[in-house]
This record gives sequence, C-alpha cells and structure tokens, in this order.
Amino acid sequence: MKALSKENKRKSRVNRIISKNFSGWLLLLPSLLLFVLVVWRPVCVAFYGAFFRLQGMEATQFIGLKNFKDVLTDSAFLKTLINTVQYVLWSLVIGLPLPFFTAIMINEMIHAQSCFKITTYLPVIVPTVATCLIWKMMYLDGSGGLLNTILYYVGIDPKQWLSNPSLTIPLIIIAMTWQSFGTSVIMYLAALQGVDQSLYEASRIDGSGFWSRLWHILFPHMRGILLLLGIQQIIGIFQITEQPLVMTGGGPDGASLSLGLTNYFYAFKYGQFDKSMALGVLMFLILIPLTFLYFKLDKKIND
Amino acid sequence: MKKISNKTNGLLNFMDLRYGRYKLIYGIMAGLLILLSLVCVLPIIWVAVSGFKTQAEFYSVPPTLLPAEFDFKKIANIWSKLNFFRYFKSTVFLILGGLVFDIVINGLCGYVLSRVKPLGSKLLETLIFGTMLLPGISMVPLYMTFVDMPLIHVNLTGSYLPLWMLVGCKAFTVMLFRNFFNGIPMDYIESARMDGCSTLGIFFKIILPLSKPIIVVEAIFCVMGMWKDFMWPYLILGSTEKETISILLYHISSGSLPLTELDAMLVIMLTVIPPGLFYCIFSRQIMGGVSMSGIKG
Repeated sequence: MKALSKENKRKSRVNRIISKNFSGWLLLLPSLLLFVLVVWRPVCVAFYGAFFRLQGMEATQFIGLKNFKDVLTDSAFLKTLINTVQYVLWSLVIGLPLPFFTAIMINEMIHAQSCFKITTYLPVIVPTVATCLIWKMMYLDGSGGLLNTILYYVGIDPKQWLSNPSLTIPLIIIAMTWQSFGTSVIMYLAALQGVDQSLYEASRIDGSGFWSRLWHILFPHMRGILLLLGIQQIIGIFQITEQPLVMTGGGPDGASLSLGLTNYFYAFKYGQFDKSMALGVLMFLILIPLTFLYFKLDKKIND
Repeated sequence: MKKISNKTNGLLNFMDLRYGRYKLIYGIMAGLLILLSLVCVLPIIWVAVSGFKTQAEFYSVPPTLLPAEFDFKKIANIWSKLNFFRYFKSTVFLILGGLVFDIVINGLCGYVLSRVKPLGSKLLETLIFGTMLLPGISMVPLYMTFVDMPLIHVNLTGSYLPLWMLVGCKAFTVMLFRNFFNGIPMDYIESARMDGCSTLGIFFKIILPLSKPIIVVEAIFCVMGMWKDFMWPYLILGSTEKETISILLYHISSGSLPLTELDAMLVIMLTVIPPGLFYCIFSRQIMGGVSMSGIKG
C-alpha cells in the first residue's frame, strides 16, 4: 500500500516536470520563432550574403571581399564616415550633457517640478517624421522660418540654415536632441533618487559648497548611468538614418550623408543589396566593441 | 505653494537656501528650466499656429507671430483633400495588432523565463539579452525575409504582419516583463501548482491579475512607439492602401504631395494631437514607466 502511493507520487512528479517543460516551451515557441526569423537569422544572412553577388535577392556567385572593396573605395565613403563621426561628436556635445544637467536642475526644484518633467518629455511623443518636419520648417531659409523670425526681431538678417553645409549636421542633432532628451531626463531623475542624502549632510557640516557637492558626491554617483547612456547614444547615433533622410535627404551635396543613410540608399534607391549588406557588416564590426563595453560596464555597475 | 523650509534633500536644502548666493543659484536654475520648457513646447505651438496663417502672412516681412484669424475650415479641407482618415485608420489598426503581439508574445516569454524556467530556457534568455544591443545590421536581410518568408515562401510586404512580428520580439520588453515577474513570489505559483493548477491556469488566474500595472505601462509605450514609427512601416506598407501617418508625413516632406508648407503644418498638428491627448491622460504612468524600464527609445 505504502509502496504504491510512493510510486504514484513519483509518477505524478515526473508528469509534472514533463508538463512544466512541455508547456513552458510551448509558450516560448512564438517568441523563439520570431527571434530566429527577425533577429538572429538576418544577422547570419548578412554575414553570409556580404560575400556574394546578389541577383535581385538570390545569392548567385561567391566573390569574396569584392563587396567590401566596392564600399570602401566608393568616392563618398570617407566623407560619409567623417560625417557619421561628426554626428556622434555633436550628439555627445549637445545631447549628452543637456539631459544630465536638466535632470539635476529639475531634481532641485521645489516649485513646478512635475510641470518641468511633463514639458521636457512632451517632444518625445511627437512622431519622428513630424519632428523632422517641424524643425525643417523652423530652419527655413526665407523669412517664414522661426529662427529667421527670431533673428528679425533681434535685428539680424535672415541666414541659411540646413542648406549651409557646415551647419547641417549640428542642426539635425539639435532636432534629434529636442525629440529624445526627455527620456534621458526621466532616467537620470530616477538615478538621482539614489544619491545618499547623508553624504550631503556630512558635506554641509564640513562646510563644502554647492559646486563641491555636485562634483564630489553627485557626479561620482551618476558616472555609471552617464557612461551607459553615453555608449548607447554613440551606438544609436552612429546608425542615424531617418533624420537626415527626412530633413535633408543627405544634402546639401552629401554634407549630411551618414553611413546609415548610405546603407539605406544602396538598398532601396540603387537596389544594390549586396553592397548594403557589406556596409552593414562593416558598421557592425565598428560598433561591436562598444556593445561589449556596454555589457561589461552594465554588469560592473549593477553588481 | 510649497515652502522652501520643507526642502530637505538635494544639493541645496532649506538651510542653504537662506543664503543669498544659493538663492541666486536656485533662481538661475529655475530660469534655465523655464527657458528649456519653452524650447520644448514652442515649436509645437508655432507649427499649430502658423498653419492657420495665409501664404502672405507666413512669408511677410516683417514676420508675423499670430495669424489674423483661425479658420478651422482649413483643417476640414485638408482632412478631406488628403483623405486623412485612411492614414489614421491604418495607423490605429497597425497599433491595435501590434499591441496584441507585443504584450502576448513578449509577456509570455518574460513570464516563462522568469517563473516557469523549463530546461534550457537559460540559454534562450542569454541569447535574447545578449543580442539586445546588436547594431542594426539587418535592414536588407530583414527586408528580404519579409519579401520571401523562409520555408513558406510568401511575400508579406504590403501587409501588417511583418510590423507586428517586429514588435513581437523586443528584447527590452521581454526584459521588462521578466524583471516584473521576478518580483512575484514563487510561493504563489508553487501553492497553486500543489492545488493542481496547470501552467496556463496559473498564468491566467494568478499572474495576469497581478501584472496589470506592467501591461498598462508596456501598452502605453507600444502605442506611442508605433505611432512614431517610420522606417519599417515605410518599407513594408509604402505606396499601398495601408500607409500610416508617418508615411504621409514623409510624402509631405519629400514634396510628392501637392501641399503648401502651411497645409503641411496643419497635417503635422493633426498627427501630434492624438498622442498629445494620450500623453495628457497617461503622463503619470509614462514617467513611472520610463524609470522602471530603465532603457527605452
């Protein structure tokens, strides 16, 4: 009698383990399928396809590194690479410190704190293309653009904006920063909640001032998240495509052409899918060290 | 009005704020923030207001700030001229389907990785989160996938399905769900299992009711994200009947529609109003959600 019930118990446990594994994987199946189809397989296809000549979408002939050579020797490649680096640098100059200091300031406010939070996040909800259009119109060269309207009231003649090759990249970055910095502000604000208030108290007793507290207490606490968001931003901006596409189409005369946009043009303007894949692989190889760095830092900071 | 004497945390507290120089710093910070808020809000208002101007007003020298009159017929005109409702409907349909894919598939994945953990799921988890930040190598191969689906060889471009598939495998969302489910005590699940509840039963009777807050947050982000989305909807649905709002905006910006700049501004305003209303209703959840998820575009 006893042995039987033991046997039964064992059986039911085995059943339960089987059913748990089976139903578990059943529920994972849609996810697994999509990740394979949409995320992992395309990466492999790109690495494979970049070494082939494509006829339409069919890989016809193995041509080794020829696609890469074509991409690298394209007369515009070097300029495009420099442009892309410029995008990244400008975004580090404009887009990284702005949300950081905004968050610090909002955190200090006792008046209208949530109001500031809501207004700085507002641009995030505007559709990406609408943002590009709004800023494109503010940058309009004629007297209708908002910037030139402001200049008029200050008493300066209207200027050229996006059509000025040396201004176009920073102007695009300003529009992008306007759109996205609200998200970073909220994240920095959350991190600021974690600053140990007793450190401030101690420093106050020691008689250190505002700047010293900012530099010696707040900044070390925030360094981790600042670095993580910084790396994320570099990875993101390096692949910038939509904004130059909508705002300038790469112009004037290639001055705002980025690697991402070139990639898009190869594929969907010139139909050279093989070259596009080769460029994608190159960009991937450039960015992958940063991705590793990110994960290493993330682990270090969260541990 | 809140009292300064209540401010006990932050770089400056009530004791500091008795001193003139700290009051000055506080004042400067408040001033900068007001300026910044204006920069955030004014472009949107400028577009909305300028759309009502006449051509002559918009290009006049000296420039005008406000239009002479707000003629709301202009909106009705442009609405019917563009058949705006079609784009609107398509976007809403895209978002509704996306919501289902996003929450059901990513939610289930997060749940299983966190609370069921079948054999070998650890490997899947590592793979999913390990490839989370992979640079976007895959525009072309992904497009090829959608044009010629592996195994079944069906062309999916021109349908919503590819876009729904894209939101159905977002590693960040899986992570968001997993982290949330990690907070649900295993005891709940164990004791339900003791009582003979199946894995699915546990999910529907225990997990689902508990996870309402995370579902709401993810749903909000999904709606906002898909309303903004441009590149993939354009590649998949471009020049079909199913074009979305963002594609319409792109046509306007590339000048392929016979519209003046002023008409364009009215259209921009129309595309900002729905998410604007949405934001008014859900701003609290959105703020909470951004800091909860840690990382969100």
